[in-house]
Amino acid sequence: MKQHPLCTDCDDKITPMGLPIPAGLKKEWSVSESRRQFLGRSGKVLGWAALASLFGEASFRHSVFASGGNQENNVTLPHFAPKAKRAIYLFMSGAPPQVDLFDYKPNLAVQFDKDMPASVRGNQQLTGMTSGQARFPVAPAHWPFNQHGQTGTWISDLLPYTARMVDDLTFIKSLNTDAINHEPAIMLMNTGNMNAGKPCLGAWLAYGLGSMNDNLPTFVVLQTKTNPRQNNQPVSSRLWSSGFLSSEFAGVGLRSVGDPVLYLQDPAGVDRDTRRRMLDAVEEINRQTLAEVGDPETNSRIAQYEMAFRMQSSVPELTDLSKEPRSTWDLYGPDAKRPGTFAYNCLLARRMAERGVRFTQIYKRGWDVHDNVVGNLPVLCKETDQGCYALVTDLKRRGLLDDTLVIWAGEFGRTVYSQGGLSQENYGRDHHPRCFTTWMTGAGVRPGVAYGETDDYSYNVVKDPVHVRDFNATILHCLGIDHNKFTYEFQGLHQKLTSPVPAFVVQGILA
Amino acid sequence: MSVAAKIASAARDVLRRARIIPRVWLSVICAGIFIVLLPLFFPLDGKPHADWLQFLGRFHPLLVHLPIGLIVLLPLLEFAGTRRQSLREAAGFVLQIALATCVLSIIFGLLLAYGSGEIGTTVTRHMRGGIVLAIALLLCLAVRPSYVAGKQSRSYFILLTMVVITLAWTAHHGGSLTHGSDYLTRYMPRALRRFIAPSAVSSHPNSFFARHIYPVIDTKCVACHGTNKEQGGLRLDSYESLMAGGKDGIVIAPRNPDGSVLLKKVTLPPSDPHFMPAEGRPPLTPDEIARIRAWVLAGASSDATSVPGIIIAGDQEEPPPPVGDYSALMGEIRQMQRSQGAKLVPLSANPSDGLILRTIDVSGSFDDAQLTKFQKFAPFIVEAELGRTAVTDASVDILSQFKSLRALHLEDTAVTGRTLAKLSSLSQLTYLNLSATRVTSDVLPLLKGMPKLRHLYLFNTPAEPASTEDSDTRSTQ
Repeated sequence: MKQHPLCTDCDDKITPMGLPIPAGLKKEWSVSESRRQFLGRSGKVLGWAALASLFGEASFRHSVFASGGNQENNVTLPHFAPKAKRAIYLFMSGAPPQVDLFDYKPNLAVQFDKDMPASVRGNQQLTGMTSGQARFPVAPAHWPFNQHGQTGTWISDLLPYTARMVDDLTFIKSLNTDAINHEPAIMLMNTGNMNAGKPCLGAWLAYGLGSMNDNLPTFVVLQTKTNPRQNNQPVSSRLWSSGFLSSEFAGVGLRSVGDPVLYLQDPAGVDRDTRRRMLDAVEEINRQTLAEVGDPETNSRIAQYEMAFRMQSSVPELTDLSKEPRSTWDLYGPDAKRPGTFAYNCLLARRMAERGVRFTQIYKRGWDVHDNVVGNLPVLCKETDQGCYALVTDLKRRGLLDDTLVIWAGEFGRTVYSQGGLSQENYGRDHHPRCFTTWMTGAGVRPGVAYGETDDYSYNVVKDPVHVRDFNATILHCLGIDHNKFTYEFQGLHQKLTSPVPAFVVQGILA
Repeated sequence: MSVAAKIASAARDVLRRARIIPRVWLSVICAGIFIVLLPLFFPLDGKPHADWLQFLGRFHPLLVHLPIGLIVLLPLLEFAGTRRQSLREAAGFVLQIALATCVLSIIFGLLLAYGSGEIGTTVTRHMRGGIVLAIALLLCLAVRPSYVAGKQSRSYFILLTMVVITLAWTAHHGGSLTHGSDYLTRYMPRALRRFIAPSAVSSHPNSFFARHIYPVIDTKCVACHGTNKEQGGLRLDSYESLMAGGKDGIVIAPRNPDGSVLLKKVTLPPSDPHFMPAEGRPPLTPDEIARIRAWVLAGASSDATSVPGIIIAGDQEEPPPPVGDYSALMGEIRQMQRSQGAKLVPLSANPSDGLILRTIDVSGSFDDAQLTKFQKFAPFIVEAELGRTAVTDASVDILSQFKSLRALHLEDTAVTGRTLAKLSSLSQLTYLNLSATRVTSDVLPLLKGMPKLRHLYLFNTPAEPASTEDSDTRSTQ
């Protein structure tokens, strides 16, 4: 063994960084680390043992003790017979302006360029982008609204496809959030907390309900290719993180460009058997490490290697659209043929629903329209409108909407007053946390309902407010989960998706 | 002899012979003829007449209970009278009073029907029943003296039995008029209801109309607008007659609730003379009105299974019967999963919610033979996910034994529908997905008979309805 010139008691090889690790330091690290692992592990085992003795053996008859074990056999969940087996979440990152799309306020037309009454805003703190404005002129929606469907729901002409399915949708017009900036707001929507480090909805579902298909991930995230002309707020893997849950519950992102999963093909010269043998060897090493160190993350890694191996055959089948009938392309439109578009992702989401993916989240960025509503909004609507309609219609005609919940939401709303200059041609809209509109459809929710109301300025909720917490509690309810009972002990708390603040399932929209 | 003399002598002859007939019989015949002819004075023409007739007529329901009580008392007194002479004497008096009040009731009943312009088969039957009853009572009265004298006791008792039966029949029709024809059967236990012929509501037993509109109208309106009575020439006892309207035109204008007379009348202030239901019958609840309004707004369809925005609590009707507890079989269930690859997944933490048969991990290789192996667990399986598997028509046979099934996925399989009739044994089935199979529209009549099937999917099959775009393919019922 080559000795490092700077270190006399290093029994290691030279580390990749070229720095030696003194033996004493390494020993101390391994002792302390294994003590931590030991305590972590034994704590869990002792806890289970104590609980089992408290409640008697019967209550744990079906539960699987090991975290990250086979969730299929863990029948503490769903708490009750679920309406929905799976969910598809269409996330409109950047905050779509509710007042231009769904929250119809006919009285605003006559108020064009008039100052919004100060009483409406009250003592609300605004973002730095508009807090310096001398006045807050009312900007009515630039595009006309029309009534659609048997429910006579008012929808902006910007969404002709959504307008065709209003009778199937459940609108919440009174959703409100605590955050006024994108990152905390989008974290709150997805993880129930503005701070990073908590598991997101999809991870909770993967952890609680488990996989339906062993060959595909339980939770898949699809990103829509960004349009460079739009104001694309970043989205990051924090949003589909498993937080303190085992990392195998984190969302698996499929790439929007090129191969959906990188290095999915075996390299030249490596056949499937060779790959299998290699993975078996890696697994054995991993199991040794697990026995030695006891880090549950090693378990996750083993599971992920196995999943990757199975995805080598399942993902090509998933993304092979050549067998889709012509009716599919008629429905989703020509965009759906180009990977990375929103319509393409919607089609993939349908195919994943058929193949047992529990939770699919599609991100569409660019809704942060700020000072160019008229320039940006029609493009955004055109990019997403047909995809949404196609997805819902396709699920419906194939009988999947009976056990699938579809959710459309952004992270907050936008102001009724104009950010920057207001003219007949263009206007802006700033962030607005006090109210925004979202829709759901499918299993568990009542079609044709508009829940909650806002004031004449689409500024404050006047009836049936729904907080993000309530929204998430309702989604869990549709999937058979009581959000108050669905907890995970971490940092001395019974952590849950809906945060420690009381949350309520929105009974008024349940089917 | 002149013709006049001949007639006079014939008349004398008749009168002489008539004297042979006892007086009592003569009066019985006269009174009988009077009662039978009574309706001729007040022909039921369906038009309302003078108010004072109605005013008097409305005492009919009050008066009518007098003869009912007395007639029920009559056989009791006669039987008791065989032991106690005084009771037998009383029976004679009771019979006379019963007859008198019966005739009075008939008169008032006629005034009521004539005055308010009520017609209909039940009205007619009720009236005829009353007349037959009165005549039977008259005969009783005529025969009774010989019964008391110890002769003809048999004919008296036959007559008495006839009186009681006629009374029950007539009273039942009267009750149907005031309370509605399903008054007795509405809350009858399901087990008993099987024995009654089903009401001819509609050919779409699962439609929103049949489940949520018809029952309201049947309870609140059909008492006056049905086969029993046809107030205003309007019948509401079927979808067709409801849409056809009455003498004054249609009462339901599809997609136009404000233009629908029916909705207008039930939402008037209760003090309004045109308010419906009339005559102080229970009004429609706000919930029922909202339901009808939404249904009309949605097009007043006879076969749509849902109406946007309206969900009725307990729409699922009775919850599906719980399946047995499979906990004891948990070990075997896991074993199946390891050996077969297909899984039996608990629907929820509550074992009585049942199991889902999930084949997705082995869908390519899951075939009829494998399904057979799960037959043992059939009582607990409420959902079978067999889409994209290798199952064939033979599996449909096997599945007909899975009596707890509520949802069955057969999409994208080789099922042809040839054996689909077997599924009619699945009484709990609400969801059936046959998309992308080769089933033809021949299967539709078979499936229509399934009592709970609400969600049938035929996408991408020869059986698919012609227009898919914008039509309600979610449920092709």
